[in-house]
Amino acid sequence: MKKYISALICGFGAGVLQIVPFLRSFSCCFIIPLAAFTSLMLDQRATNSKEKISAKKAIMFGIVTGLYAALFGSFFELFITLVTKHNDIISTFPELQRMIEGFPVTPEIKTEVLNLFQNVREEILTKGFSLLYTFSVLMNNFIVNTIFGAVGGLVGAQIINNRINNPSN
Amino acid sequence: MRFQYRLILFIVLLLWFSGIFVEWLISFDNHFLFALPFLQKTYSLVCHQEKAKLLLFNNGETLTCARCTGIYLGLLLVSFIFLFKNFKKKFPVKFLLYSSVPMFADVILYSINVYHYSKFIAFSTGLLLGSVGFLYLYSGLNNLILEMKN
Repeated sequence: MKKYISALICGFGAGVLQIVPFLRSFSCCFIIPLAAFTSLMLDQRATNSKEKISAKKAIMFGIVTGLYAALFGSFFELFITLVTKHNDIISTFPELQRMIEGFPVTPEIKTEVLNLFQNVREEILTKGFSLLYTFSVLMNNFIVNTIFGAVGGLVGAQIINNRINNPSN
Repeated sequence: MRFQYRLILFIVLLLWFSGIFVEWLISFDNHFLFALPFLQKTYSLVCHQEKAKLLLFNNGETLTCARCTGIYLGLLLVSFIFLFKNFKKKFPVKFLLYSSVPMFADVILYSINVYHYSKFIAFSTGLLLGSVGFLYLYSGLNNLILEMKN
């Protein structure tokens, strides 16, 4: 646990960045890879290590950072939804409705999809919780953040190792 | 890296890239409509999805902005090239930094109103970074495979 304290800090930061509406606009595809890179840097600083980072360590730090980001991101998103009974599904539902109406698909499928999301919307409006929404948030956050974290760790380790090899850079 | 691994990497990137165009895929199979809201949520984790910055096509728009679409296309195109040739050369990290300069310059210049946001510039600068970025992802995966073997 202590070994991954830097991943916890950076994962927390990335998780927050992913859910705060204003900050979210900055959270392009770089936020999780950058968090993984930063966690490796922090770990190097904390342990005073001048050794090159192995790919195994890099990917582990990336994955753990992604997992923490997913954990905090999901928790905050689901908690805010529970308390406010409002989220992006509610606010974008009219737009989604218009969009679905515009697609060249059979009326049965349109009705089925709209009913599905109408149910999710009503559950959130009344209880602040929807099983389908929770499942979708957890699946998305854990899969995407873990993969992007691993990528950030692998690429980040090469940048750090390059600086160790060429301290003048 | 063995061909099988390169093929898996290409397929993963192809699937990820195809997801961006799910609105277009709906015209081929209506059932993709069920996946649309789920995928919108997926890509919202890695892109701001500002309406004005999405790429438009026949009957829809991409699920990521022009810049992110460029980055993922760059990754996909270079992974396709790597399917046919297993490059073993190590690339200096400065290439990655240089390739990110046009993208960051574009972000800064349009943010301070030197010029208006251009999807073409955003897409091109993303494409450049994505293409070069793949070399480092590939190298990282290569190192990992070598370490696992030892």
